[in-house]
Amino acid sequence: MFRYIGVRLMHSLVILALVTVLVFVIAQLIPGDAIMAAMAGNVDMHDAQVVARVRHQFGLDQPILVQFAVWLQHFVRGDWGTSIGTGENVLQMFLHRLPITLELFFGATLWAVAIGIPVGIVGALKRNSALDMFLTAGTIVGVSIPAFWEAIVLIYLLAVVFPIVPPSGYIPFGEHPLLNLRAMLLPTFVLGTHSGGLLARYVRSSLLEVLGQDYIRTARAKGLSERAVVVRHAIKPGMIPVVTVIGLSWGGMLAGAFFVEVIFAIPGLGRMGVEAIFQRDFPVMQATLIVVSLNVLLVNLSVDILYGYLDPRVRVRA
Amino acid sequence: MEQVFDRREFILGFVAASFGTLAVRQGSATAASGAVLDQPWAVWAKDAKPVRGGYFRIAAGQYIGKMNPNHWPVLDWVSMGYFHEKLMLTDGSYNATVAWLAEQLTWENPQQVLMRLREGVTFHDGSTFDAESVKFQIDWIRDPTSKTWDVSWLAPLDSVDIVDKQTLRWKFKTPWASFAGVVSNVPGYVMSEKALQADAAKYDSQPEGTGPYIVEEANPGNFLKLKRNPNWWFAKASNNPDMPYFDGILVTVIPDPAVRLANLRAGKIDVLTLEKSQYAGVKSDPEFQVYRIPGNHVNALRFNTAKGVFQDLRLRKAVSHAIDRQALIAGTQFGLARLASCIYPADHWCHNPDLKPVNYDPDLSKRLLSEAGYSGGLSVRGYYNNTSMGQTIAEAVKSMLAKVGIDWQVDVLAPAAVAARMQAVDYDLAEGGWVFIYDPDLMATGLYHPAGGFNFGRSKNETAIALIEAGRKEVDREKRQSIYWQLEKVLYDSYEDAWLWWEETAVAYRQAVQGLDLEGYLKYKEAWFWSHPLWFKDGKA
Repeated sequence: MFRYIGVRLMHSLVILALVTVLVFVIAQLIPGDAIMAAMAGNVDMHDAQVVARVRHQFGLDQPILVQFAVWLQHFVRGDWGTSIGTGENVLQMFLHRLPITLELFFGATLWAVAIGIPVGIVGALKRNSALDMFLTAGTIVGVSIPAFWEAIVLIYLLAVVFPIVPPSGYIPFGEHPLLNLRAMLLPTFVLGTHSGGLLARYVRSSLLEVLGQDYIRTARAKGLSERAVVVRHAIKPGMIPVVTVIGLSWGGMLAGAFFVEVIFAIPGLGRMGVEAIFQRDFPVMQATLIVVSLNVLLVNLSVDILYGYLDPRVRVRA
Repeated sequence: MEQVFDRREFILGFVAASFGTLAVRQGSATAASGAVLDQPWAVWAKDAKPVRGGYFRIAAGQYIGKMNPNHWPVLDWVSMGYFHEKLMLTDGSYNATVAWLAEQLTWENPQQVLMRLREGVTFHDGSTFDAESVKFQIDWIRDPTSKTWDVSWLAPLDSVDIVDKQTLRWKFKTPWASFAGVVSNVPGYVMSEKALQADAAKYDSQPEGTGPYIVEEANPGNFLKLKRNPNWWFAKASNNPDMPYFDGILVTVIPDPAVRLANLRAGKIDVLTLEKSQYAGVKSDPEFQVYRIPGNHVNALRFNTAKGVFQDLRLRKAVSHAIDRQALIAGTQFGLARLASCIYPADHWCHNPDLKPVNYDPDLSKRLLSEAGYSGGLSVRGYYNNTSMGQTIAEAVKSMLAKVGIDWQVDVLAPAAVAARMQAVDYDLAEGGWVFIYDPDLMATGLYHPAGGFNFGRSKNETAIALIEAGRKEVDREKRQSIYWQLEKVLYDSYEDAWLWWEETAVAYRQAVQGLDLEGYLKYKEAWFWSHPLWFKDGKA
């Protein structure tokens, strides 16, 4: 098992190193820099001296390789630099925003599980019934509905027409737990809907596959009730592929968080990343992409390890 | 309820870029000066009954960034104006004639100004605003180690000398007509000497100004909370001890415009600058007071007159007459704009009233194309910004040009890419214009002088350049105004750009917000706004 974890860890480190280089190269391929982005619409940047001074201040007048080396050197030492867009310390920005995004993720995952697993199970057990078709249609809507549209409609419905939740904003849990939960209700739901729909599809098909296995037939032949067959023998093995889906959905949620946080004005990592991209804020862009990559790698690593634990055949192949 | 009122510009006017000139003649004393109660802009309506209380809630698209105005970047100048004040303000025609923290300016000669400062002003940290604090601040801005982005704005300044506790003498290297404009702009925001000396870096997040509100809590990316300044000098000077009336201001960052509107409708914010597309749906809503704002921005298409086909005046003229500006305003701006004749808006003191907007005449455009040898059609390249509004405008203009035989191959680009193309002068016809037009020199130099940061050699009109340089030195307001009228005429006659419209915006307030006055604003703009703080009916949001 330890050898297996070690191999996966090495793979992850190599991928992370490649991502670091790739992120920097991609950032350089985008035309313009932060100062140019500011120049385009900002009268502050009205003369060349101002532009040159600000560019020098942020080291943007250095050759690309020098910029990369300096950035990498500082990054690994924990000095993530200063945001060109806001002037804040990048590491502080991350530390401040990470718990917010994690809360969003956990909330969304709870929604996804709460929606996906029961719907998937019911769909599998009532296969081809009217209820199954209704739930299938619902999951397809959940998977295909554009999140920004869903968010705006829900905001107007639940914050303006029937004011149950606030339209946007974030209140830390430690400051006011109830208001925090009210504020996070819609964003987590919107973010979790897509994963929930996807999960329901996977649970349904996985459970159907399990229910067709010989040992399930044997259990039924033994005279066990259908409830006992499903609960004791079908659900647990049927959930193994679900672990993968939940893991993968974390990567998807990151992409979703980019606009859910913008729409709901949640000051998390996603919104910070979007603003950094628009502002060509390289230090924040690079750090965001690396953290995002790291997140995906860690989740995949966890899934691999969990898989190895749940299914010994995986370990043997590795 | 709908009114025509420039609230947004009014707020922005306090803080945004401006260079202006004094309404003074050389050697005479002064712009409006003396006791606050003697000023025409400080007059209150007799029936106004302001009450104290409540937090005024505002939505901002972005977090403010740095709160030292001289450190880049500052992303929300509206909020900046609540806790910092400037030495001078601009008036109803965007001219820096209003003495605010500087009580009086006297031009001793074109290279020397005597500035008398108001007494009884204290910073939020309790220190005193006086000649020494202003001198320290100006010297600090000019010190290279301070890393201020606006230091070059003070390039004509030779020295600032203390005459007495409340008086400074400013000496210039050359005649400096924009001086009052500069001190009504970023370098004119006064900052506590004590705070700067203690820790200038800390000032970026913990500013100490003199404004009506004090920074209470800064939560980057989320909100900025301000509390009432109980010692605001203007309250005492104007015998209104309850000023400012709100207990505080909460600026919440809400990036999405639709969600900002949802917050207004849900009663979570008290004021909102509407997207143009939102205006029609809100203007008749009895829940709100909606004001149309004549803004000081000009939208235009810029020609590359240095190389390519638009060196030919006939072709520039053909493009300009092929654009149906009325249709563009109706179709892309939802009617919220004013037809532009040239660079300075109609209510700007440098606007030449003799110039009329270029008329829509597609037949003339076709004739001009034919005369220039392009009867078979003309193909030109360019760019526009990639906002949804930008894309709409680009498509509409492209379609209008196509009708006369001009194929505008327009790329819709992100801001940084736009700047890269502009810098490389890689276009024939592209998005142009200017935002925050205060002092006439800033835009004139920026767009039409070789040293301008938005020119990059694309415009080389020698007559215009000579006028721009003359305008910088002329400290007599009337003579200077005449120079800019001439400049507008020169630009207009040479079709240097195709000016489309001057901006108009719409702002919606909840009915609980009191104290808005159209007439007062239009007459005195920035000066009226800061001397007439708003309040809540019954003191509650």
